[in-house]
Amino acid sequence: MNAPVVVKRLFDWKVRGFRWVEIIGVVLVAAMVFSVYVAKAGAARESARIGELERQIADNRQRVRLLRAESTRLEQPGRLETLSRAAGLAPVDVERQAEAGSLNDLKPVEAPTEVTPRAIYVAPVEDEPPALPDMEVAQ
Amino acid sequence: MSAHDHRLYRPAPGTGRAPLTSTVSPWLRWLTEAVWFVEHAFERARTEGKAEEDTRVRIFVIMAAFSCVFVCLALGAAYAALFADHGRFRGGSTAHALERADLVDRNGLLLATNITHYGLYIDPNEVWDREAAFRQIKSVLPSISDKRLRRVLDGDRRLIAQPGLTPAEKSAVHALALGGISFEPEDRRVYPLNGSAVHLIGMADTGGQGVSGTELAFNEDIRAAGQAGEDFQISIDLRVQGVLENELAAAALENGSKGAVGIITDVQTGEILGMASYPGYDPNRPAAAPDGATLNRATSAHYEMGSVFKTFTVAAGIDTGRADMATVFDASVPFMLGNRRITDFHAQNRAMTLEDVYLHSSNIGTSRLAVEMGGDVMRDYFQRMGLLDAAPIELKESARPIVPREWSDTTLASLSFGYGISITPVQMAAAMGALTNGGRYVPLSLRKGGAPRTAEPRRVVSEQTSLTLLDLMRRNVVRGSGTRADAPGLRVGGKTGSANKLVGGRYSPAAALGTFAAVFPTDGPVTARRYSILILMDEPQTYPKTGGFVAAPAVGRIADRIAPFLNIPRRGDRWATATGEKIPQPDEAAQ
Repeated sequence: MNAPVVVKRLFDWKVRGFRWVEIIGVVLVAAMVFSVYVAKAGAARESARIGELERQIADNRQRVRLLRAESTRLEQPGRLETLSRAAGLAPVDVERQAEAGSLNDLKPVEAPTEVTPRAIYVAPVEDEPPALPDMEVAQ
Repeated sequence: MSAHDHRLYRPAPGTGRAPLTSTVSPWLRWLTEAVWFVEHAFERARTEGKAEEDTRVRIFVIMAAFSCVFVCLALGAAYAALFADHGRFRGGSTAHALERADLVDRNGLLLATNITHYGLYIDPNEVWDREAAFRQIKSVLPSISDKRLRRVLDGDRRLIAQPGLTPAEKSAVHALALGGISFEPEDRRVYPLNGSAVHLIGMADTGGQGVSGTELAFNEDIRAAGQAGEDFQISIDLRVQGVLENELAAAALENGSKGAVGIITDVQTGEILGMASYPGYDPNRPAAAPDGATLNRATSAHYEMGSVFKTFTVAAGIDTGRADMATVFDASVPFMLGNRRITDFHAQNRAMTLEDVYLHSSNIGTSRLAVEMGGDVMRDYFQRMGLLDAAPIELKESARPIVPREWSDTTLASLSFGYGISITPVQMAAAMGALTNGGRYVPLSLRKGGAPRTAEPRRVVSEQTSLTLLDLMRRNVVRGSGTRADAPGLRVGGKTGSANKLVGGRYSPAAALGTFAAVFPTDGPVTARRYSILILMDEPQTYPKTGGFVAAPAVGRIADRIAPFLNIPRRGDRWATATGEKIPQPDEAAQ
């Protein structure tokens, strides 16, 4: 039996007057139509969600701009200075300024005092079972 | 073929009742015949024996045509499904594009921004009770004009009642739940700093075009940055600007000046870190600005600055080699030029070295020096210091100076101590920068990093002259006229300037001008980081009115407060310790 004949017989194979090939084709087309529908509906849902998120982002961006402007308004140099002066603040006197490098000169290191033993918490290391390494070895 | 075959039916022309078509229209008749012609094609083909018009051929042609159409539709559908989103996503990325970018300082702090405001539109046909609507809108928007609101409500179509509602006002009106009210968003430029840096930032109009200051100078750049959704950064440091403004206003209020200017620049890069003009105004309500407050005195006002010009004369003298620190000038008697008599404000009546001339601000000494150098040399140096042209800065407000027409000896004498030439404060700041950065004229700039370098900056004086001047300016603050400008450990140097203003053709001592041009730190190599502070007080009312009293203290306080922002460590030098205690000098002890 050569191949063309097999293909022809397969092609002519019918059930209740319908070719199998046609039935399979119809089923495939139906499946495709359904899947396209599902995909499109999903895409539409996603797209609506994206639109919603984009709108939220735009709203939030607008809000950020507003808040940024508001915080700048509250932090106007003139306003801050007036408030600080009213609170009794003033630029730091030069005698009270120091750099990080000169900290040791400012406050001499205190002589080490006797340390009381109970002030120091010693972790009870010896009591801990060395469980972790054993488990790793077992694996 | 049977005689009943409908295909053989042919309406008999002229027999029986006339077909409807022939009475309705000759066109319909033509169409009917065309349909029948097609319908009888088979018969004609068979009788004429043309195989190509056989049924199969026709079916094939029709199927081919339909296949083509369906393939096209399928391709179109596939294209729409796969690539249709492209345009939408591109639209999404420019959704946050602005008409004008946010203006920020060198550290990213906000200077100007765009906030969506809302135009209030009213459609009177949908308003139920116009009187109630009027009262309610008026109660939440007191600023709205009665006349306008009444006109819109009594009109017959939808009109704008009030533009530029803030989001808060919009929600207040919205909460009234009135019919016929709608809002349309509009982008509006907002200056949240109110009065801070107002002249420098300038303004943009409602159409989104800059009209003054930085908004005008960088109009195109700001718009381009807005389209890209980016911020536009300028060289200002808002902290420095804030200190400058506060101290300038405090000093101006203290001495009753009618105007004041402060400029802080980086002398190496030409960047402007702060620029203030007193008095200021609220840019969000420009109409309410007091008279003269909108003028940026730093760029647009002319002043005869007085003795600060002695720095330029002395610089020219040292640079030409005509004078050095040890050169002696005879200031024991007034200097006579024709019948003009030049005297000193604080007459010392003795022979003075160049240092003494500078420290005691001797008009006689600098006049002698200027006349000795001659008009050509002076003009050349003034030209190179940028005193004869408008300062090269991006701000369009930068005004041209008022320069002398002829350079006679008496003019030279006047110029040597800062009379006879009116310059803008930015010119002064740029020239002081050039003398203290190693002698290069670097144009001032509001761009972060300075103006783009096109060519090597022009040389004004030699590096050696620049170092000598720095030393001289420091000496002037330590033991000359500028002692009030010193800030502990910051090695401030500078020159005072005190001038009388020309009022009705005469120099009036009642209308004075006090200036202090400072630079710090003065030590280190010529390329070291260095900042210049220029403070100018216009018509102070307290005595003494000289720059050393009205302007210098503000310089000292400003330097003291901005040094941490500029990261300048406090250090001692030859004259004083890091905390400001004076170090006794051997040459003083000898005197």
